[in-house]
Amino acid sequence: MAEMLTKNQTRRTVLKGAAGAAALGAVGLPFPMPAIAQETTWTLANSLRSVANPYHATFAKGGEDFAKSIGAKYEVLVTEGNSEKGIADIKALLQRSGGKLILNVDPNDSPDARVIVEEVKKAGGFVVTQWNKPADLHPWDFDPNYIAHMSFDGVPTAEAIANELFKAFGGEGGIVALGGILSNVPAIERKLGLDNAIAKTNGKVELLDFQPADWNEQKAFEITQAWLTRFGDKVKGVFAANDGMGMGALEALRQNGLAGKVPVVGIDGIDAAVAAIEAGEFAGTVAWDPLWTGGMGLAIPYAHATGKIDITKEGHEHREFYGTGIIVTKESVADFKSNPSKIDFNDLWGKATGQIQYRG
Amino acid sequence: MKIAAPAGGTWIKQWRRWAPVAVLVGLCILIGLFNSNFFGLSNLIRMLNTASIPLVICMGATFIILMGSIDLSAEGVIAICAVAASMLVANDFTGVAIGPLSVPAAIVIGGLIGLLNGYIHVKFRIPSFMTTLGMGFAGIGVATAILGGVMVRISDNEFRNYLSLGRFLDIPAAVYIAAIAVGVAWVIQERTRIGRWLYAIGTDEATARNAGIPVDRTRILIFGIAGTFYGLAGALSAAQIGRGHALISQDRLFAAITAVVVGGTALSGGVGSVLNSVIGVFIVIVLTNGMILMGIEPYVQKGVQGLLIIAAVALALDRSRLDVVK
Amino acid sequence: MTIPVLEIRGVSKSFPGVKALDDVSFAINKGEVVGLIGENGAGKSTLLKVLNGIYHPDQGGIFVDGKPVIISSPRQAFDSGIAMVFQEQSVLPTLTVAENIFLGREEEFIRFGLISKRRMNQAAAIELAKVHLDVSPATRCGDLSFADRQMVEIAKALSLHSRIAGDVTILLDEPTSVLEKKEADLLFSIVRGLRDRASFVFISHRLEEVLEISDRVYVLRDGKCVKELAARDATVKDLHQLMVGRQLHHEYYREARQTEPSLTTVLEAKNLSKSGAFSNISFALHEGEVLGIAGVIGSGREALARCLAGHSEVDDGTLEVAGAAVRFSAAFDATAKGVGLVPAERKVEGLVAPFSVTENMTLAALPKFVSGLRIRFADETRVAQQWIERLSIKTPSPNTMAGSLSGGNQQKVVLAKWRIAGVKVLILDHPTRGIDVGAKEDVYDLIRDMTAEGLAIVLLGDTLEEVIGMSHRILVMRDGEVTASFEAAPGLKPKQVDLVSHMV
Repeated sequence: MAEMLTKNQTRRTVLKGAAGAAALGAVGLPFPMPAIAQETTWTLANSLRSVANPYHATFAKGGEDFAKSIGAKYEVLVTEGNSEKGIADIKALLQRSGGKLILNVDPNDSPDARVIVEEVKKAGGFVVTQWNKPADLHPWDFDPNYIAHMSFDGVPTAEAIANELFKAFGGEGGIVALGGILSNVPAIERKLGLDNAIAKTNGKVELLDFQPADWNEQKAFEITQAWLTRFGDKVKGVFAANDGMGMGALEALRQNGLAGKVPVVGIDGIDAAVAAIEAGEFAGTVAWDPLWTGGMGLAIPYAHATGKIDITKEGHEHREFYGTGIIVTKESVADFKSNPSKIDFNDLWGKATGQIQYRG
Repeated sequence: MKIAAPAGGTWIKQWRRWAPVAVLVGLCILIGLFNSNFFGLSNLIRMLNTASIPLVICMGATFIILMGSIDLSAEGVIAICAVAASMLVANDFTGVAIGPLSVPAAIVIGGLIGLLNGYIHVKFRIPSFMTTLGMGFAGIGVATAILGGVMVRISDNEFRNYLSLGRFLDIPAAVYIAAIAVGVAWVIQERTRIGRWLYAIGTDEATARNAGIPVDRTRILIFGIAGTFYGLAGALSAAQIGRGHALISQDRLFAAITAVVVGGTALSGGVGSVLNSVIGVFIVIVLTNGMILMGIEPYVQKGVQGLLIIAAVALALDRSRLDVVK
Repeated sequence: MTIPVLEIRGVSKSFPGVKALDDVSFAINKGEVVGLIGENGAGKSTLLKVLNGIYHPDQGGIFVDGKPVIISSPRQAFDSGIAMVFQEQSVLPTLTVAENIFLGREEEFIRFGLISKRRMNQAAAIELAKVHLDVSPATRCGDLSFADRQMVEIAKALSLHSRIAGDVTILLDEPTSVLEKKEADLLFSIVRGLRDRASFVFISHRLEEVLEISDRVYVLRDGKCVKELAARDATVKDLHQLMVGRQLHHEYYREARQTEPSLTTVLEAKNLSKSGAFSNISFALHEGEVLGIAGVIGSGREALARCLAGHSEVDDGTLEVAGAAVRFSAAFDATAKGVGLVPAERKVEGLVAPFSVTENMTLAALPKFVSGLRIRFADETRVAQQWIERLSIKTPSPNTMAGSLSGGNQQKVVLAKWRIAGVKVLILDHPTRGIDVGAKEDVYDLIRDMTAEGLAIVLLGDTLEEVIGMSHRILVMRDGEVTASFEAAPGLKPKQVDLVSHMV
């Protein structure tokens, strides 16, 4: 993350980035190999949408950290939001590695997960999926190759962060809410969590309006501007289903002299949101710890591949599980920043918080 | 051969020329009836503020479309320029801080990428669609690679104030800058050779060539001019949100092309004006703002937007030209 | 001895497979109007493009006032005192009259990088006055009539003589092909009035006009200059003969082949009206009949032709095909009822230029060549081959791109298309515009062939003589109404003057 980097590292990143720019979108970013590679035959890879967004950039970094710790070859595959490309790149890598592949994948779209799992099983590799998969696709049906599926429960997370928002303006008044793309599972879950939180206030908090801003900062800016016209000072707080939209809302408030006066909450825990919490403009965010999912999605299958565990003997709560979201508020922000997530790659399920529930 | 002009022919032509304005006025009245806050000074200023960056982008996009080409690189160019501008003022990523000079720097970078667009398009005879699409992806790729997925946070408040946040007569600085950009674009269009020539090229390139116009050079230059507008838009974007990142202009491109077309500039080239695009931008902005003011269901909003685009184009397009021979 | 203002000596230009110009020389003296004629493909266009800097000669040179010049762009041609009025209009509809006149030469109106529109419009007004065109320089050319735009084009070329110091030569490529007689006369009087200041090269298929305006005439054939002769000593017949290299061996309009139409009505119009275009048009068209429609620009005859073919809709009145009322709301409807249009703008509407000859021919009748989902290419090619022979279309093969054929052969492809589609009625809108004498005669033969087979034809002729020569009956239109109707049996043809009195 920017503020953690020293000047030298920054310059190196810039140079490396410029050289790798042409390769971007083609195969993915080749990460530098550690100087002394230990004896291992497994290729490790994280597949994700785009390193242009901070969440996935950190996710990729988590994988790199684990690969370094065992001295394995590591690659990042980028889908750029294109399912075809994502699957094609995985197939190519399976072939190149002769099936000796450990893959940690955030599928571009739920149906992709099935295709990817089947391909990996056919080739004899191991795979962990993140966030998106069909509800009827289970790791234990593809023993031993489909190791696990990891996700985060949007409902309690959104409910918790909504409560932080209510607390910030005194628990009584109107709020407006920005949602993600209407058909998106996390968007639906986070809206549900917000609705639950509002219902529990017994009418003290009113949802003035809900608009989907499609995870887009700019749209959030425009919608928030219009809300200020429509509702004026009835708006006591802004709920955003992710930090990007929250930042757009914050800038719209700033344009109207309301930054820091009307609290905003978001989800994801991006740097800018954390900084806004420190400045007193954000009431809170939820950090997903992508460093952990990025690394652990490789560590668990690696443990199975090297015989440390036998995944087929693990219970369902270790095959389909939620990770922990860390709630960051004004009170906890200093602590959050000074103690960056320390990951013990031997503690495989230490941060898991229960088996995944399927709603509706 | 031309048939005898129908008695009302000129009137219809006039109407077509003014159709986008009529659509805008009609929309405003309709929304104002539902929610009188719409016409409140503070909302008008908010809409102007929202319109400022799209206006600057559309000035560049209009020139390209008038020339009969298309430019899909806007998002990538804006991303690079926004990242560059935010790295050149006081920030948390680089040690450079050249303050106000970052604005001309962003404009120059945008212009150079635009010239490169034009050069590749003209010299290698690659359709502008493909050239600029590729350049757009490359732009976002480079911005991503420079930052490695993080954001640059701007700590230079002067920069943000002079470009976006600061107010004079209650109107944000960004609005004045957009107004100047529109003025410059209008002068280029109306009063310079390159302005005449881009219409000529957009209408009929062979004729333009026969008239002795240096078509290739003009094309490259126009892509360069469009790039400078994207560069300015990049600096404005960075100032508006106080950060620079690779996805800063996400979804701006489609909105810009929509605004240009809704304003009455034909994608086929030669017909339209930067002033049309100003109207087009406001139609799109007023509609977005208005539908939220009117409390229209989010599900319905996108449908209404789509219908309005079709309606506006249908009103402005001279469909009789498709029937009666020239 | 006077030095010619413009001279070319021994110019040759080859393209792959064809020698377009072969050692051509000619000279133009100050104040002279020189006619340049030749069949299409004789090398006229190539010669003009050499003079305008679009092509570069392989051999030979160009001399202005006796000095050799190199002309490598239209702009250089202009600076050397050579301006060109293109056959296909180069007036841009989106620019104003003034902007068109000075396109590419704006620098004289520029101060501090900005164009002064006021001074440009003033200068344009002076040029417009020279061609007696009474429109505002700020009018968009798209709002002008076609003929007015042609005048703007001419004004643009004429503007040259007040812009440069030396002598000026203006190349007029078929400037009258889209003008009615009155406008052509105006153009000629302007040309004559400017002879003390400029020389002209005049190119036209209308040989009468060439003789009328020119001092001398050069005849090109197969890329060679075959004859130079004084206009006052020549006749149209001489020129014909020189161009095609043979005597006109039969009568031009094939009046002898004009057969008696049958009494069966195939198309009947009853009180057709379209607001702003025409009103109350009634007529009956019989099998084997050519119905000519005469009228000036604005008479409404083009709009009528387009309505008959379903390209636009009438507001009122009924149209009957074979006794049954029909309503055409699209060209497709008309085709289905056996009515086809051969449009004036061949390249725009009549022909899909990048398609092959075969594909163009079967376009309107494709269902006839389809079994299931498959096009029977062999059948398609066989039918195309038959028509190529039958109409003696000059094409290297049925698979040649139609756009690469000469104008006359393109027109034959369009006619074949409708014949294959089996139409009963053909609307011919200026079928001989811009094609050379030989090809014109072929088209006249085709018309006679078609009527002999029972097709009915509505003809909007390129010239009055053509309408009179070809038609069985002639309707004269003025301001959207029929003002007269003439029978035109062979030997009993009406005189031009009779028609004109009802046209204006």
